[in-house]
Amino acid sequence: MVTLVRIGIPRALLYYHYFPLWETFWRNLGVEIEVSPPTNKQILDLGVEAAVPEACLPVKVYYGHILTLAQKVDYLFVPRLISSQKGTYICPKFMGLPDMLKHCGYNIPAIIAPTLNARHGKKAWERSHLQAAEELGFNRRLTQFAWQQAQRELASYHKELQAGRTPVDILYQRQPPKPTSRHTLLLLGHPYNIFDEFVSMNLINRLYHRGYQVVTPEMLPPKLVEKEAARLPKHLFWSLGRLLVGTANYYLQEKSIAGIVHVVSFGCGPDSLVGELLERRAKKLAHVPFLLLTLDEHTGEGGLITRLEAFLDMIEWRHVS
Amino acid sequence: MKAYLGIDLGSVSTNFFVMGQDEEVLVNIYLRTQGNPIKAVRTGLARTQDELPPGVTIAGVGTTGSGRQLAGIIVGADTIKNEITAHGVAATSLVPTVRTVLEIGGQDSKIIILRDGIVTDFAMNTVCAAGTGSFLDRQAERLGLPIDQFGQLAVRSSNPVRIAGRCAVFAESDMIHKQQLGHPMEDITRGLCQALVRNYLNNVAKGKAIEPPILFQGGVAANAGMKVAFEEALGIEVLVPKYFAVMGALGAAQLAQRQVSNGAETRFRGFEVSNWDFHVSSRHCHGCSNCCEIVEIEAGEKSLACWGDRCGRWSEQNPAQIA
Repeated sequence: MVTLVRIGIPRALLYYHYFPLWETFWRNLGVEIEVSPPTNKQILDLGVEAAVPEACLPVKVYYGHILTLAQKVDYLFVPRLISSQKGTYICPKFMGLPDMLKHCGYNIPAIIAPTLNARHGKKAWERSHLQAAEELGFNRRLTQFAWQQAQRELASYHKELQAGRTPVDILYQRQPPKPTSRHTLLLLGHPYNIFDEFVSMNLINRLYHRGYQVVTPEMLPPKLVEKEAARLPKHLFWSLGRLLVGTANYYLQEKSIAGIVHVVSFGCGPDSLVGELLERRAKKLAHVPFLLLTLDEHTGEGGLITRLEAFLDMIEWRHVS
Repeated sequence: MKAYLGIDLGSVSTNFFVMGQDEEVLVNIYLRTQGNPIKAVRTGLARTQDELPPGVTIAGVGTTGSGRQLAGIIVGADTIKNEITAHGVAATSLVPTVRTVLEIGGQDSKIIILRDGIVTDFAMNTVCAAGTGSFLDRQAERLGLPIDQFGQLAVRSSNPVRIAGRCAVFAESDMIHKQQLGHPMEDITRGLCQALVRNYLNNVAKGKAIEPPILFQGGVAANAGMKVAFEEALGIEVLVPKYFAVMGALGAAQLAQRQVSNGAETRFRGFEVSNWDFHVSSRHCHGCSNCCEIVEIEAGEKSLACWGDRCGRWSEQNPAQIA
């Protein structure tokens, strides 16, 4: 008989892409799930203190979520995300995350770390989840059932995303305000930056507040993103970078957007290249205004607000004259 | 006669500009903020009132700069605009065909690209403030030079030394090293101007299409050495407009005029504001774990506005113009 366990899932990094899968899987096994609260100052402070100084802001925030959960759960769920698709890779910091946490020097519960690695075949992600659950004492029939349910849930999540809702609209059951502007903005960035309202200094809501409709990379079908990303003369092997480039290519050709806001974390290696690529394409393909916003630890919103206001003024004035 | 007041409350300077209905310049004041923005606004207002020709009434007020919210609340502004828009508006009003604005202020630097009178692109310095006015101020002080002579000296040099401009800290140690070797002061100051221009062009202006006419504005444009260094690096003439130091305020005045052009009554509280007793307090809100730092500004006993909260618990009660 399996005793009731509590598993902690941090509301950080790829939570915004995979939470419905993970939640459904564990809940179907009868596991209790504790999700850390939305990022706040305390979580950030904890993370900044615990993580190595060279880590980027999102990784530091992840540490903060882990430490917030540490006292409340039996296990921490920290998947090892390596490659979601053959020939593409997620940032090395994601690959090493379970190890970095194990050796962070804080007293934290045991880590459950199923591996996502497309190089090991299509079934590897499933296998490593089932294995992780079986190590906790769940039997094969139950874990297979839970996985099927989880896959179904993820598929319906993707369907909702592609209907034009953002991860936070779906996960937090919200409805964005009705747009009052005729312009649509493309908000590009990694999900853990653009959908974490603390880290992004409420960026998406600021855009809603100004009346804009906002589209994000998650809203396009992956096949379309792939096709558009393949237009690059060379193969781009960063998964999240492909998502950004593919999305930007699609919307720039569609000519349905009035501007692009690209959010990056200070010190993000892949984005330093991808960002430059995006800006050049925005200029070359469609002369669409492009704003790069760099996020880091400082909490002063002044710089972000000034840039955003100037950018939105620019968009409005272009269309007036 | 109706006139429009623009205030640019910046980190280093606070500027006031009053223009009449037909854009005639009535008042133009440049003050040092000296870390006390409220005092700077009050002093500036009092001086504006003194310098204003008789029979002129203020029909609209605009504020800009990093302290635009604060200034807007104190004086009662009709429009509160970011400094990029304000500088862009000011530049087009002086030179309608302007295509590039180089602006270096006290703590930030920006580039604004305009085409046919419309801002089409811009950039601001990111995390690094190397090469802005406060750094030049500091170096001038260290060299014992009044800042207004810094540029004159640089222009006299015919053999500038190479200084690393990537980082203010490195630039300073490089300068000290060159001084110790015995290089003359003018060569060092000229070298510093070149380093700052290089840094600006490589960081802020990276990838931007810099085309003439080019306006160089902001407090640093007073430095003739910087103007010459820009011209050398770009190979194009750089124009420094007459009101280069107060362009933000000039733009804010124009935005104010546009704002009230529909006949709206101004929100200006009047010049007596310069005698009001303003008080700013800050506290931590303990409504949630974000512990936001709330700033509250009061006039006498009356609370005028709050800001600094993420959720809007305090700032939602502000008067409507402060968004």
